[in-house]
Amino acid sequence: MANTTTSSDLSEQHPIRAMATADLSYRWSPEQPPLTFPDLSLPLGQHLFLRGASGSGKSTLLSLLSGMLTPHTGTVRILGSQLDRLGAGQRDRFRANHIGVIFQQFNLVPYLTAEANVTLPCRLSAQRREATDPEPIHEAHRLLTALAIPQDCWHRKVTQLSIGQQQRIAAARALIGGPSLILADEPTSALDSDNRDRFLDLLLTLAEARNTSVVFVSHDRALAQHFDHQVELEGAAS
Amino acid sequence: MSTRLALSLAGASLWHRRRVLALVCLTLTLSVTLLLGIQYLRTEVKESFTSTVSDTDLIIGARSGQLNLLLYTVFHLGDPTNNIRWSTFQELEADERIDWLIPISLGDSYRGSRVIGTNDNFLERFQYGRGRSLQLAQGRWFDGVFDVVLGANVADKFNHGVGDSIVLSHGGGRTSFSNHDDTPFHVTGILESTGTPVDQAVYISLSGMEAMHVGWESGVAIPGRTLTPEAAEQRDFTPSAITAAFAGLERKILTFQVQRELNQNTSEPLSAILPGVALSELWRLMRQFERALIGITGFVVVISLLGLAAVLLTLQAQRSHEIAVLRAIGASPGLVGLLYVIEAVALALVACILALLIGAVAVMALAPWLQASYGLQIQIRPLSGVEWGLLASVPVAALLVALIPAIRTWWQSRSLGLGEVAEP
Repeated sequence: MANTTTSSDLSEQHPIRAMATADLSYRWSPEQPPLTFPDLSLPLGQHLFLRGASGSGKSTLLSLLSGMLTPHTGTVRILGSQLDRLGAGQRDRFRANHIGVIFQQFNLVPYLTAEANVTLPCRLSAQRREATDPEPIHEAHRLLTALAIPQDCWHRKVTQLSIGQQQRIAAARALIGGPSLILADEPTSALDSDNRDRFLDLLLTLAEARNTSVVFVSHDRALAQHFDHQVELEGAAS
Repeated sequence: MSTRLALSLAGASLWHRRRVLALVCLTLTLSVTLLLGIQYLRTEVKESFTSTVSDTDLIIGARSGQLNLLLYTVFHLGDPTNNIRWSTFQELEADERIDWLIPISLGDSYRGSRVIGTNDNFLERFQYGRGRSLQLAQGRWFDGVFDVVLGANVADKFNHGVGDSIVLSHGGGRTSFSNHDDTPFHVTGILESTGTPVDQAVYISLSGMEAMHVGWESGVAIPGRTLTPEAAEQRDFTPSAITAAFAGLERKILTFQVQRELNQNTSEPLSAILPGVALSELWRLMRQFERALIGITGFVVVISLLGLAAVLLTLQAQRSHEIAVLRAIGASPGLVGLLYVIEAVALALVACILALLIGAVAVMALAPWLQASYGLQIQIRPLSGVEWGLLASVPVAALLVALIPAIRTWWQSRSLGLGEVAEP
C-alpha cells in the first residue's frame, strides 16, 4: 500500500534513530477498517518528506509519531523510546522535551507576543530550557533574527503579524531548545511560493545546525527535492 | 512549574479577552454587591430596629402580652389594655433598685400622631440606637402646662416651628372630631430626627395631659367645665393614672429579679418586659421575609455564575486552536483544564474585591442620607463570619462552574490527534 521511494539508507546506520515505526495501524472507530502505515526509519539529523493526498492518513501518522494518539497495532520509537508503551502523561512530557511541531496555520497562542510564543516550549520542558544558551530569551532572539522577523515585531501580539511571519515564528518555536524531531504538517500550504521556499530553506538549515530531524508532510511534490528521504502515503484503507 | 505557567498563561488570556470578560465580571460584581449589600443592610437594619429603645431595662405596663406592651409603648401601635395607678408608679419610684423611671401617658393624638404625656426624664434618660440620647433641634423641652415638644417628623410634616399654637384631639385616630379647642398648646421645642417612632409623636407634660381633660370626664367636653389656660396655671394636676413606664435599674443584674416581682405584683396586675427581648421577638416575625430576600439574591448570583459558564463555553469554541497548540508542544490535558479554572476563579476574585470596594464606598456615601431619612445608622464595619462565608462561596462556585468547560476540554484533549481541533 505504501511506496517507499527513498535511497536505501532508511536502514539501521545509527544505533539510535530519530524515528522508527513498525507494523503501524490505527483505527478511529471499531466499525471502520484500520489505517495502516509503511514502516519508517529516519537517522538522527536527517529529514523525511511525507507526501500523500488528503485522506491518506498523514495527520493520523503525525498524531501517532507525536504520541497524541496510540497505535492500534505496531510500535513507534522516537529516539529509541517506545512511545506506545508510555502513559498519556509520559507521552506529553516526552513531546515537550523532544518534539517540535509546526501546523498548517493557527500555530501560535494568540494572546502571547511573538517572543513569548517562541520561548513557550522552554517553560514546559526543563530539558529544552537548559539546552538554550544562556537563556531561552537569547536563543529566541537568535532564531527570530535568523528567520528574518523584524525586531519591532518581537513584542507584538502575533495576531497582528502576517501569515508568513507567523509560520516562521512557529518554526522558531519548534526549533528552540534543540528538540531531536520536528513534525511539520503542511506548514507552507498557506504561503506563496517565494515565502514557501524561503521558509523551507531556513527551517532545514537551522534544523541541520542543531542536528534536528524534520518530518515534513505536504501534498506538494515540488518540495520533495529538499529532502534526504521521501515516502508516499497512498490510501486510507487497506 | 506548570502551575506557574498556567497562572501566567491564564493572566495573559484574561487580559487578551478583557472586553468580553469585563462585562461578565461586571455582572458578577453587581450581583455579589447585591448579595453582600442585602446581607449587610439586613444586619444593620436589625441592629437599628432592635435598638429602637436602648439603655431601658424594663418597660412596665398593665398586664398584657409582651408584644402588645412593646407595640403601644415604643411603636405607638394598638391600644393600651389598662392604666397603672399613680400610687403604683410612686411605689416604683421609691424602689431603691430602680434608678430612673419615664412615665408615659397615652390616649390623645395630634393629626394622627400620638400625644405622649411624660416628664423631663424622657429627654434626659430615653436612649435609642447605640446609646444615643435625644437632642432638641430647636427651642427647649416643655416647662409649662400647655407647652408641647414635637417629634422631628411631626414638625416637618405639618411645617410647625417653635412658637406655633396647636390644638390636640381627644382619642386616637387620624380624624378625631372632638378637639381640645379650649386648651391650645404652644410649641416650645422640636426634637432632632432619630429614625425611631420618637419622631412621630408629640410630647406634653403629665400635668398638661390632666389639664386638657378637666371637664372631659364623660368622654366629651362639657361646656363651662373645661379649663382656660389662665385658670389651669393656678392648679396642681397630679395624674391619677399613667399608661406605662420605662425603667432603668441601678444594677443590671437585678433585671430579672425586678421583672419577676413586678409580674407577680398582687396589688395591681402589671407586666414588665425586657425591651431587647421583645424587639428581637418582633423581628423574628420578619424572618420569612428576610429569608426570601436572601434567597432571591442568591439566585441572582447563581444566574450570573451561569452567565460566566455560558461565556466560558462560548470562548472554549474560539480557543480550540490555541488548545491544539498547547497540547502539541506538550501541555497536559490537566494544564489546559487548569487554565479555565484559574481564569474563572480569578474573575470571581476580581468581582469579589470590586464588590467590597463598591459596597464600602456606597455605605460611606449613603450613611448620612440613610441616617437623615430613615434614621438607619449604618457604618463601615468588619465583615461577619457569615458575610465572609457568602463572599468565599463566590470563587468556590466559580471553580465548580469552570469545571464544566475544564472537564470537557480535558476529556476532548485525550482523544484528539495532533493539531486537531475540538468540535464546538
